[in-house]
Amino acid sequence: MNRKKLYPWYFASGAAVLFFLLCFLPGVLGIAYSFTDWNNFTDEINFVGLSNYKRIFQGNSEYLLYITNTLLFTIVTTVAKTVAGLALALLLSRQFIRFKNFHRMIIFSPQVMSYLVVGLVFKSMLHPSTGFLNNFLKGMGLDFLAKSWLTDLKIVFPTVMTVDTWKGMGYIMVVVIAGLMSIAPEYYEAASIDGATFFQQLKSITIPLLKPVLVNATVLNVTYGLRVFDMVYSLTNGGPGNATGVINTAVYKEFSKGDLAMGTTLSSVLFFFVLALLYFIIKSMESKEVDG
Amino acid sequence: MAAAMTVGLLAGCSSGGESGSDSGKLTLTFGSHQSGLPKSGIVQDLAKEYEEETGVKVDFQISPDAQWRDLIKVKLDSGEAPDIICVDTPIGLASSIHMDQYSVELTDNEWVKRMDESARSAVSVDGKTYGITFPGAKMYFYMYNKDIFEDLKLETPKNYSEFKDVCEKIKASGVTPVYECTTNGWHQVLPLFETGGLWLNDDPQGYDKLNANETPLESISHLETIIGQLQECAKAGYFGDDYLSNSWENAKEAIASGKYAMTVAELGFRGEVDADYPDFGAMEKLGAFVMPWGDNQTIGVNPASNAYFINKDSKHAEEAEKFFEFLAKPENLKKRLEGQPEINAVCWPEMETKYTEEDQAFLDSYEKANVVQTSVNYIDSQWMDVGKDLEAMYTGAMTPKDVVDTVVKRRNEQAELQKDPGWAK
Repeated sequence: MNRKKLYPWYFASGAAVLFFLLCFLPGVLGIAYSFTDWNNFTDEINFVGLSNYKRIFQGNSEYLLYITNTLLFTIVTTVAKTVAGLALALLLSRQFIRFKNFHRMIIFSPQVMSYLVVGLVFKSMLHPSTGFLNNFLKGMGLDFLAKSWLTDLKIVFPTVMTVDTWKGMGYIMVVVIAGLMSIAPEYYEAASIDGATFFQQLKSITIPLLKPVLVNATVLNVTYGLRVFDMVYSLTNGGPGNATGVINTAVYKEFSKGDLAMGTTLSSVLFFFVLALLYFIIKSMESKEVDG
Repeated sequence: MAAAMTVGLLAGCSSGGESGSDSGKLTLTFGSHQSGLPKSGIVQDLAKEYEEETGVKVDFQISPDAQWRDLIKVKLDSGEAPDIICVDTPIGLASSIHMDQYSVELTDNEWVKRMDESARSAVSVDGKTYGITFPGAKMYFYMYNKDIFEDLKLETPKNYSEFKDVCEKIKASGVTPVYECTTNGWHQVLPLFETGGLWLNDDPQGYDKLNANETPLESISHLETIIGQLQECAKAGYFGDDYLSNSWENAKEAIASGKYAMTVAELGFRGEVDADYPDFGAMEKLGAFVMPWGDNQTIGVNPASNAYFINKDSKHAEEAEKFFEFLAKPENLKKRLEGQPEINAVCWPEMETKYTEEDQAFLDSYEKANVVQTSVNYIDSQWMDVGKDLEAMYTGAMTPKDVVDTVVKRRNEQAELQKDPGWAK
């Protein structure tokens, strides 16, 4: 190939310009605004240095709770979705399951629903006395399991994380199934000839060969978890009180109050988190490729 | 080629916005929150009649209550607001939306003089009127099931300790005393600020001093007292088990089913229950007493609730003004009063009220005072936040003192953010 490869550059430039103008530039401006006192009530903007950041990290600020909640939500849902997705993918690739495609479709279908719809429907289903779940449990005689899912401080966050896992595991399952299909069956045949059990095969063949797929899935889950908003907003609106607030619900509240600089500060903090995490994840992925 | 695509995309985006007006029929956009329009749909019915008369269509765009105030502020600032806007009044408070800056002045319309004085002042700034409003003064009471009270031989409570006794006896009989609902975000806040009469009894100039920051909000002891009383009642089980998951939309069903004995509502609640549950006989069965939080016995009056304004940047401001004239016609005022079961009066003195003699006597027998949120700055803007704080208190995450501190802190923050002169150090 002796031709100068001008044409890829040409085609990418349109998208690159749009991305720069609509995504990159506003992002950088946002970070710049986080060092000011920009608000909805006056036209003056004054430079205030790190005072917004100090309000987040100093003292017993509510923002630390939101950051903790966001990180907890991310870790738990990532692990839960990956484990559930992997388990379902393995199950729905077994020979003894009939109507595999039908089952896969059912499990994937929550993913295509809007977060808002899922949140509102579950909010109604989880009502302590008129909700479907508790009435079902009481009908089966399991009264002691019928709790206040969305209003008891101890279980409201696990409930939100469970609903989110239910919605997102289908996607991970589909991605893992694609990965499973790319594993040559000869490995399994050789392993079963050597007498390996299912879990030994899982540990030594499936998971290592699925590593790229699992890393991609983890990256997707982590970036979603850090940016979660719709699910929390429609299920609990950050409540009861502020117990399930996450960074993006805090950003929404700040913009609503008219304190725009604080909103951009929280968004910038989130941006730095995501950047740092992704850097490490992708770094670890690269080094594996070099070793492999 | 990529540049051509970009230009095409941008051109396509900009031409799409203009298509509304060339289809022949004129459409006025009417933006409101859910509570801003009567649930009976009477305004939509009046708009349909107007369309039959004049061919001008009114397109209602309704948003949930929780974020309406902030949403409309953003829309007004970005120039994307609808032609007609419904917001809560008064518009003259420092912390309100300042509709005078965004609305067409309507002072010269003939209907302006026909509005009630206090309603007119709620939609005017410096003597210039900007909006039209219809509901009469808004007052909240405890609506109670008279049968339950009679069966248990209970008298309506005149102070907090009598209220607790009544609740205890009702609870013992197996009925949940009070229907409370926190998911809407606003209902649980009413006892704090509808009882402004307590504040004014201590100091008749109280509201003005609070606005000038001569009196700090934290010195009003009634706030912490009432919040503490709310917590006490919740812990005693007087609100039932589901008050954190209940919503206001189910209040009618709750009262009509007899499972709950009381709830905080306007007198017009009777009409609403009657419309949905005619067999219950709400008009005779539901009585009212003044909410006795903090031993309050003054009726809190909200002189004007929500009002309609015309966006200054609207291309159809003239047609919108004609629509307002239509709404202000006496026969349409009458239709509104009849078609809206939850209100008993409109703020137009020429219209007779729906209050019975019994109601009128009840209202006349108590002193009245303006509620806090229409007279004191930076309270209404944090109403929904206070609702969340009370939720946090009910779940045990905050104490009553924490709630008061948060309200005060938010008020001070808002005042400083808006460079209120009373807070200038």
